[in-house]
Amino acid sequence: MKLKRIIAGILAVSTVFMVTACQDQGTSSKTDTSSKTENSSTTEESKNDESKNDESKTEGEKLTLKVLTHRTDRKEDGSLEKMTEAFEEKFNCTVEYQAFKDYAGDVSTMMSTTSYGDVLMIPDTVKIAELGNFFEPLGSYDELKETYMWADQKMYDGTVYGLAHLGSVSGGICYNKKVWEAAGITTAPKTAEEFINALKQIEEKTDAIPYYTNYKDASWTASQWCSLVMSASGNANYETDKLTKKEDLFIEGDAYYNVFKLMYDIYSDSKLIEGDPMGTDWEGSKLMIAKGEIATMTMGSWAVSQFKQIASENGLNPDDIGYMPAPFTAKDGKQYAQLAADYCMGVNKNSAADVKELGKKYIEWFIKDSGFSESEQSVNALKGSKLPGYLSAFEGCEYFTAATAPEGLTGVWNAIDNDSEVGIWAGDSANFKLRMAEAAFAGEGDAGFKTIIDEMNSKWNATRDANEALKTYLAG
Amino acid sequence: MNKTKTRRTLLEWVKSYTGQKYLTTFLFLLVPVALLILFTVIPAFNMILFSFQERDELGLSARWIGFDNYKTLFTDMTYLKTFINSIYYFVGSFVQLALALFIATLLCSKIKFAGVFKGFIFFPYLMNGVAVALIFQRFFKVDDGGTLNSILALFGSDPINWLTNKSLNNWCLVFSSIWRYIGFDILMFIGAIQSISPDIYEAAEIDGANAWQRFWRIVFPSIRPIVALQLILSIKGATSVFEIPYVITGGKFDTSTFVIKTQEVGFTFHKVGLASAMAVVLLLIIIVITIIQKLFFKEER
Repeated sequence: MKLKRIIAGILAVSTVFMVTACQDQGTSSKTDTSSKTENSSTTEESKNDESKNDESKTEGEKLTLKVLTHRTDRKEDGSLEKMTEAFEEKFNCTVEYQAFKDYAGDVSTMMSTTSYGDVLMIPDTVKIAELGNFFEPLGSYDELKETYMWADQKMYDGTVYGLAHLGSVSGGICYNKKVWEAAGITTAPKTAEEFINALKQIEEKTDAIPYYTNYKDASWTASQWCSLVMSASGNANYETDKLTKKEDLFIEGDAYYNVFKLMYDIYSDSKLIEGDPMGTDWEGSKLMIAKGEIATMTMGSWAVSQFKQIASENGLNPDDIGYMPAPFTAKDGKQYAQLAADYCMGVNKNSAADVKELGKKYIEWFIKDSGFSESEQSVNALKGSKLPGYLSAFEGCEYFTAATAPEGLTGVWNAIDNDSEVGIWAGDSANFKLRMAEAAFAGEGDAGFKTIIDEMNSKWNATRDANEALKTYLAG
Repeated sequence: MNKTKTRRTLLEWVKSYTGQKYLTTFLFLLVPVALLILFTVIPAFNMILFSFQERDELGLSARWIGFDNYKTLFTDMTYLKTFINSIYYFVGSFVQLALALFIATLLCSKIKFAGVFKGFIFFPYLMNGVAVALIFQRFFKVDDGGTLNSILALFGSDPINWLTNKSLNNWCLVFSSIWRYIGFDILMFIGAIQSISPDIYEAAEIDGANAWQRFWRIVFPSIRPIVALQLILSIKGATSVFEIPYVITGGKFDTSTFVIKTQEVGFTFHKVGLASAMAVVLLLIIIVITIIQKLFFKEER
């Protein structure tokens, strides 16, 4: 009986898979299935080109551009297609969108064939050195870097294969503008000291909780502080430099120290945080910050749209939610903010020549004229473009994008972090962030902080000195 | 006889009574045994193999490193020191047993609604551990209607930080654990007490023994094996506490346990080899306790 049910279950599931698989094939164009049967890659490409041309011509001289996207939400609500009407009219073509829930997984599988759309978000599974095998060059880096931010994200040997469809600021602090203004603070703090003073002012002048720790969910909320570190350093090669100079993780005056000392100092002052850190409620805190019951939370920029959504769902003003840069001034006296690219768009190398040209125009249009990044409240990849309104506090900051680790050091930082069990982004119960927070709650003062960072430094250094990849890199 | 047996074909043997008996047994056992092998034996065997490897969850670059994982475990105390919190649960298990014995004795005397009480007390044991943990999370909440503090507030007490105070929180968790498991102990004790022949009680009554004497001279000696069994089970439980602290505090504020640590080493730091070694160490500890239990029982008989 049990077995029968299990077999029936397996059959049912597999039928569903088969049906969906068939549907997938049904939607992809006929040329794709024919090209799969070809063996030689050269004939495959030429034949593919020919048939694609034929097909597009039969559709009344209109080219069809197939775009793969990860934004299932924007495909479903129709806003992508609506936005593209302008492009279709301008270039007399049809744009078809195909959206994937598990984008990276599904598209990586599709890329083992030649049919993976005409324009697509480049999955990170494609190695930088192999970009040329899959994607059409969009131009040289020297030329594109003048116009676009993040042109180096999908660049190999000076040739750019993909441009970021939008980007975001990577670390900052969410705050309720109304509460901060009510406390008389109109400019975003530039140093840790100013930040703490601002929180104290909020405590005195308003009823709001100045800073909400969300400590019950510390396994991930504590790690939100880590997103401030790069901005606090203002150094695009911060991690690489730390490795090659063999520095301690926490050095007084350095980014890691500064960020977590600020966290420690805030958490140490019970007036600045909520009464019961173990009774916090993440879902509830969204409404509380929208209402102005919470003034400040350190969260990634992804949280802003969630707070805004809750605000509008409850009849509150979503524009009250603001985002401010990491309150640190680098050694050169400037305040930095790290920007990060989202998915980069590339053109399928196997598409027909005229479709490829159209694809390049599409990417240019998407970034420059589509208004997509604006409607998503994100940072446009075009240099000098205006920041979305909620990021007004970032004006005056120096922007930079973290550089990728040099060859030979790829993954070394993470390996040391993991092997030493320091766990910079982790939230295990023995993690330094949690221990710092608990020492702060217990009022252990600077001595408590020092004990923890000393222990972390020695763990980190021991593992780093044993790392073979780093040894080879430094020797060579 | 022998000749006829060998001459019988396989088909005939299958059709015979013994054949049918074996075949049916075999077929019935096939599914559960296959499932047991697939989901218990093979994973457990793999775990032992993994404990001699350096590997991540995917096992793409697994490397044999002999006893290195065990060396790390026993030289770097960060792993084994999480057993310290087991002491709280160990102490708690004595309290639990004493309390269970007391309640069981009460329920076996002539009181009204004994059945209803038994049902209420046994109910928590039937609940899912995570559900129990969620109940107590609410129970120990500091403000916003935390149950315990609300009750205390009626008597004019200030709210107490039950879960963040490091000298209180482990006891709070132990309390939750006792609440959940005591029903099982009580049920076992009631069963044992009720199996004592009423003749002995009658005789004791005639001899003029009071309740206290009856308990220590009759009840306790008769149920000693069950007490010992429950004690061993509690020690096992104390070494492998997981869901109650994991859900209520997440191991924060010094409430982490060995199993939570194992889970973190395996899934936060992707050191599946080391985590497997930790699991094997726990397995060995439990095997040792089980052997002690077996020896103890032999003696009793």
